[in-house]
Amino acid sequence: MKPGQISETQQLGPMSGFIIPHTMQISIGILSFQQLLSKDSGQDAWLACLIGGLFSLAIMWMILRLLKNEQKFGRADFFSIHQRLFGKWLGGLLNFFVTAHVVLFGVVFLRSYIEILQVWIFPQLSVFTFTILFCLIIWYIVLGGIRIVGGICMLSFIYMIPLYMSTVFAVPEAYFSNLLPMFEHSPASILISAFHTTHIYLGFELMLYFYPFIKRPQLAKKWCYFGILTSMYIYIILMLMATVFFSRGEMRLTIWPTVTFWKSVSFPLLEHVDMVIIIYYMWALLPSVSMSAWVASRFVKHTFPVIKQKYALVGVLLIFVIISVLIKNGEQVKIANDLYGNIGFFIVYAYVPFLLFYQWLMKKVRGKAA
Amino acid sequence: MKLKTLVILLLLALLSSCMPTNIIDDILMVEAEGFDYIGHNQILGTATMPNYVQSGNPGGQGGGLPSTASMMRYVSGITYDGKSLVDKFQPEGQRPLKIGKVRVMLFDKKLAKHGMRDQIDFRNRDPDTPRDLTIAIVEGSTNKLLTAQDYQTQIPISRYVQDMIQQNNEQNYPTSNLSQFIYSYYGNYMDPFMPLIKKIGNHLEMTGIAIFKKDKYVMKVPNKDTFIFKMLFEKFNQGVYDFEFAPKKHIAIRNVHTTINYKVKDGNSSAPDIYAYVKINGQVRQAYVGSISKSRAYRVEKPLEKQMEQKASKLVRTFQKKGTDPLRLGDTVRSFTYNFDGKSWPERYQNAHFHCQVTVNISQTGISQ
Repeated sequence: MKPGQISETQQLGPMSGFIIPHTMQISIGILSFQQLLSKDSGQDAWLACLIGGLFSLAIMWMILRLLKNEQKFGRADFFSIHQRLFGKWLGGLLNFFVTAHVVLFGVVFLRSYIEILQVWIFPQLSVFTFTILFCLIIWYIVLGGIRIVGGICMLSFIYMIPLYMSTVFAVPEAYFSNLLPMFEHSPASILISAFHTTHIYLGFELMLYFYPFIKRPQLAKKWCYFGILTSMYIYIILMLMATVFFSRGEMRLTIWPTVTFWKSVSFPLLEHVDMVIIIYYMWALLPSVSMSAWVASRFVKHTFPVIKQKYALVGVLLIFVIISVLIKNGEQVKIANDLYGNIGFFIVYAYVPFLLFYQWLMKKVRGKAA
Repeated sequence: MKLKTLVILLLLALLSSCMPTNIIDDILMVEAEGFDYIGHNQILGTATMPNYVQSGNPGGQGGGLPSTASMMRYVSGITYDGKSLVDKFQPEGQRPLKIGKVRVMLFDKKLAKHGMRDQIDFRNRDPDTPRDLTIAIVEGSTNKLLTAQDYQTQIPISRYVQDMIQQNNEQNYPTSNLSQFIYSYYGNYMDPFMPLIKKIGNHLEMTGIAIFKKDKYVMKVPNKDTFIFKMLFEKFNQGVYDFEFAPKKHIAIRNVHTTINYKVKDGNSSAPDIYAYVKINGQVRQAYVGSISKSRAYRVEKPLEKQMEQKASKLVRTFQKKGTDPLRLGDTVRSFTYNFDGKSWPERYQNAHFHCQVTVNISQTGISQ
């Protein structure tokens, strides 16, 4: 076994290249992104979804390229790349920053979900109690290792399929004329909306952390692209659904268009489908938060090898609880979401290409020196 | 390790917080709400709850008296408009009032004329209110309608009203519920509508469609024109049109299929042309003796088309004069026009030319010649 290689009993199959990035992308943004997107580009917002998805495909290609180049230098993950390229201290600092973003990823989703629970179902819900209970589940999942996290992602993917199918209930009440006239908005406003899609497409960059855990990564490559294409498809469908279901003025006022849409679905003997789905939606949250906790605990293990991952995990989850409780109201949740989206935009669209370039540069420089 | 896990799991029991529960036997489910405007931004609100009184069942639980027997039927009181009736009436309820399953919301005509901005905003903000809620304007007092005891039917009034409106929505009345109302109310270049109901004697009746301008009631489409309204509004397949081809000589036509297609020309000009193409596929149900037969069906089609076109144009002209747009023509024009000029639309709407072309196909004339 080469140094830095992961034992095969701890590795995931190549298919997880599809499941994990995809389930990371599907998270809390799916409930509310339509409002933000249609603000600038109205009925053409689905184009913004398309553009955002294609851009993330390009970034995915860069990430895979970066990791593949790195394979011959040892373990191919974000932490090792940083330390190899920037040295122990600067690399460690960069590791801290990217991990902070991943922690933000978990916390923002957890806290936004609690906000939705408080608004829609349980106004009296205590943030502290809920996060503690939720973090216990996360603790249990992450303790099982990356394979269990991957399994949770798989289950989440399967469990979410009925929710996507629920969009068919919009068809009888749809006003397809809302989509007309097509391509009315200027490319600039569509690109602004495409910038807003970063929040929903983020998550695939976690590939940078668990790549060495994938068995036969060359096979996982095509699955990674499929994963992003699937998310893109789901987002476009949901965007179209919201556009044809709500009038423009209504959309401007609706904070969670997807949930409001579920609110108008009803079956005989089963009304308020929205409440059932919101609880069910916890399944979309589990993989994101547990992967975030896994990455954060792994960072601690990588930086301070003395600390075992399972002890680091407790600390990480405590941080989750503390930050969640510190976020007091809906406005702060929104600020945290924006912060997460903007930092993520920088990391994915500026930092990853830069890293790829820098890696290539170092190869040239060091290659000549040797 | 096992002990530790056990301790943690036991500690979990302490975490269980005291969430309020909604057990069906322990709450009062509001099923209908009525709002009567009494001036000075004050309303008389009425809420009804279902009455689960069963016939005395000896040997049943509680010594023959069901636990729900003492439930009240309705509460009413005066409050300012825009306030949730549930909050207002809680002091009168012996159990928590819950609005999660409200079926019907009724407003009287005075409130509709006064403007319903606060009411609608409140409904749109409240996560508990279902979106397929049935809403209607009442001619007369909603309080009397909801609290009257002399209906022929024994089912609760909330279900009576909802069934009646939903049934008619499939026939001559355009689809209307809270979702539709909010869609039009908040949407650009369109105005909402609601069905009008009235208590006549010991029953309820649909009397037409109440047309709003923004949040204010402006006019009524009478019962006999609802077919025309629906024909221009959406496609449907269960309406009945009463055609008076000569004085006092009627033919009742049941439509099997009606489709509507809009085309718009010069959407940004000062007088846009709106073309409505209606295709009706119908069957004759009743006819004046000797007025129709299979071979002569086509003779009825032409005058019928003409009458419908005239009526449709007249209806739209009335809307244009009042400056209201319940047919969402403005939105249709927008969807056909690049860089639609929305600011000047209210003025241009009044000048818009509406052309209606109806094609009727009478497919059957009944089982006798």
